[in-house]
Amino acid sequence: MSKATSGPAAEAASDRAVLRTDGVTKRFGGLTAVDDVDIEIHRGEIVGLIGPNGAGKSTLFNCITGTLTPDEGRVYLQGEDVTDWPEHKIARAGLGRMFQETRIFGDMTVRKNLLLAAQEGGAGVSSLMRRPDSSLLARTDELLDYVDLGGLAETRAGRMSFGQQKLLEFAMELMSEPEILLMDEPAGGINPSMLGNLIDYIRNANEEQESTIFLIEHNMDFVMDIADRIYVLAHGERIADGTPEEIQNDQRVLDAYLGRE
Amino acid sequence: MAATQFVVNGLLVGALFAGVAVGFALIWGVVDIINLAHGEMVMLGGYTSYWMLTLVTGNAEGSPLLFLATVPVAIAVLFGIGYALQRTLVSRVIGTDIFLTLLVTFGASIAIQQLAIQAWSANPRSIQVSFANPSMSIAGIVVPKMKLVAFAGAIVLTALMYVFLQKTRTGRAIRAVSQNPEAAALVGIDVEHTRAMTFGVSSAIAGGIGAFIAVILNVQPQMGLIYTLKSFIIVVFGGVGSIPGALIGGLLLGSVEELVAGFASSQWTLAVSFSLLIVLLILKPKGLFGKGAEQ
Amino acid sequence: MSTTDEESSGVLRSILPPEQVDRFLGTCDDYGWPLLGIGALVAASFPVLGLQGGYYMTVLTEMFLFAILALSWDIVGGQTGYPSFGNMAFFGIGAYATAILTKDFALAFPVAFLLAGLLAVSSAGIIGVVVLRLRGHYFAIATLGVLLVAQQVSRILDITGGASGKILLQTPSAETFYYLFLGVLVVEMALVYYLSGTRFGFVLNAIRDDEEKATAMGFNTTYYKTAAWMLAGLFTGFAGAAYSLFNTFIDPQTAYNGAWNVELIAMALLGGSGTVAGPVIGAFGLHTIIELVETFAVGWQLVLLGGAVIVTVIGFPKGVVGTLSEYASQMDYYKHGGMAATDTDDGSEVSADE
Repeated sequence: MSKATSGPAAEAASDRAVLRTDGVTKRFGGLTAVDDVDIEIHRGEIVGLIGPNGAGKSTLFNCITGTLTPDEGRVYLQGEDVTDWPEHKIARAGLGRMFQETRIFGDMTVRKNLLLAAQEGGAGVSSLMRRPDSSLLARTDELLDYVDLGGLAETRAGRMSFGQQKLLEFAMELMSEPEILLMDEPAGGINPSMLGNLIDYIRNANEEQESTIFLIEHNMDFVMDIADRIYVLAHGERIADGTPEEIQNDQRVLDAYLGRE
Repeated sequence: MAATQFVVNGLLVGALFAGVAVGFALIWGVVDIINLAHGEMVMLGGYTSYWMLTLVTGNAEGSPLLFLATVPVAIAVLFGIGYALQRTLVSRVIGTDIFLTLLVTFGASIAIQQLAIQAWSANPRSIQVSFANPSMSIAGIVVPKMKLVAFAGAIVLTALMYVFLQKTRTGRAIRAVSQNPEAAALVGIDVEHTRAMTFGVSSAIAGGIGAFIAVILNVQPQMGLIYTLKSFIIVVFGGVGSIPGALIGGLLLGSVEELVAGFASSQWTLAVSFSLLIVLLILKPKGLFGKGAEQ
Repeated sequence: MSTTDEESSGVLRSILPPEQVDRFLGTCDDYGWPLLGIGALVAASFPVLGLQGGYYMTVLTEMFLFAILALSWDIVGGQTGYPSFGNMAFFGIGAYATAILTKDFALAFPVAFLLAGLLAVSSAGIIGVVVLRLRGHYFAIATLGVLLVAQQVSRILDITGGASGKILLQTPSAETFYYLFLGVLVVEMALVYYLSGTRFGFVLNAIRDDEEKATAMGFNTTYYKTAAWMLAGLFTGFAGAAYSLFNTFIDPQTAYNGAWNVELIAMALLGGSGTVAGPVIGAFGLHTIIELVETFAVGWQLVLLGGAVIVTVIGFPKGVVGTLSEYASQMDYYKHGGMAATDTDDGSEVSADE
């Protein structure tokens, strides 16, 4: 363990954590997919989550987002205990999620997808009944230009290529300005030339908007390049955490990936 | 004592429901289609038997043996209809939106119903089978002989289906396609033909049972939907792909209906059955046996 | 979109280029409100210009009725992605409500009408809570179950007249019904049109496209689905409420008509599900055809209906409006360097993909 994990200084730091899990455990029948995992993400960080296949990374994500309820342990978002909250409530509290298979609303236009993502005004009845105002529309144009999808605003989202859809999904998250963004294998299925672009987009969002990002990834180059800190999961347990350099030199991590345990 | 009589009545008729449900489950499991026209196969089977008998005797009456001779005819005719239905219609919507498949079979159901009305009028018809002593009494329970024959017929048909699936080559092909169509195609199985065979077999059994229903109840053009929905209830309860489950489900449903009819009134049977349908769906059953009726 | 579509629509493209269709649809979209207003005025003017109560007025009134039903179905089935076989349950509830309230309780028709709507929307709420948990074909069949239970119940109870139903003798004039159905239709179209441009409408479409993603984005989908379902139930209920008196007769078969439910689905699909105009166009079109069939070949309408459904599903699943917009949006994609583009080299910088 690298950071200070006890004492008043640590507690104060924990309280400032955007996302924190405390002993989260999830079992499926006889299998313990996630075993007593503690993680902490602070504002403005980009934190990676890596581990061999079946390590429990997606399950941990699902426990955080509310798709699954942990059997043990708590999840805190901005200091608030959201462990038992329904998924949509957690999302509305500021937790954004991008999916491995890149989910967007295929039958709707790109612009509608973005408008939907905007969280201003919450979900009250009155705001629902209003048509999108010009400032909102302007913002969608801005974001589309930012990810180089300008001009596709009126295209049906399902028509775009996989890479374009991924950018749209990313833009939708930017639109909703989440407190923390969970990304599930963002580099998956992207060709190498676009990978560089994606890294830039994520870094920009992180630097300019102080976006906090927590991502699962298998692409080592990608993760080591972009992450400030990395957690490593194997067999459901947290086996290491630290900076990219520390992780790359950690024997336990190498063992886990090479199957020696 | 009354309750026992009701239960016995229920078991006797429940076997028929089970037989119909088994075919329905087969299509669902193999072709991945919920065939809303399944009940029409029952109806057509009943009419086939009715008209066969009328052809031979001049009116819809006859000895038990004569009637039983019409059952294979109903089976054969419905096999053909089911096969054709799949190849011409259903095959075009496989793999599309689930709702569209429901809609197509529902549309076919309505078309068939209406054609039947045009052809044979909406009046119910029934076959009269003459027994020397129409019913017998076992331990104080009245058992109409015809119902016993129908019960036996349904069980036999269901058993035949089971044997067919387990022992014959086509049966094995059907099971292969239900588990993995691509793999089945790779080993040389004609998937389209197998699917059509499934429809054929399923409709054939439904048709055979329809013949029995024409005797112990009646046939009218619009009776199909009820049997389709009862099959749905039974399959959701017993599990898609499980013949034992369908059998038990059918017997149970029959008993429940007869009990309701006996203790409350026969008016309430359908209301109760359909409510049961909704309740079962809500409880998201995985079925008692076999594959769960997963979405 | 596959290459074979391109080949077969090549001829069509030269006659009716996608851009034109796109522009046409765009104009309709921009001028939606005026179009609706003009349509309403035109329809309202017929009786004034001399249309008498009788065959033609009845046909038109029925066209409005089916348009209401198809559009209501589409709110839940097309926009939200929860196609149901049981919308007619609310039709029957509304129909029996006015029948009972006007005949047995001697309430004035307007009052009965409103109360019927209230009853319909409340039952929609209750039923919705139960059935909207289900998805896909389970949902569809559960709604069919609801419809049939309602039908059975009305067959059993005395207050609904049992299997013989109720005959209603003191009913408003044909013109009243003409304007009533037209009015409800216009209001519904306006409402759906407005909502489809608001966040509420977007969320419904999102639920249709990917309900889990919508939830992950923070929308309480149960709330939205129920609202849509209740909205559909309200208008369907109003339609039924007016119908029982319009028809002067109501019985379980008429009130809870499964075949009608299929008919209105076919109308929504044929016209173009998920749009405002689609179901209405489909209703007008299909009803006219069925009327013609009934005139020339009595008794065959429902066979035709079954056939129409089959044809729609197999050949034409997106309906008229849907196919048009699909077609229209083809060029849009190619212009911006889409994936399958071969010789469009607009020099657009959107090559941010493979």
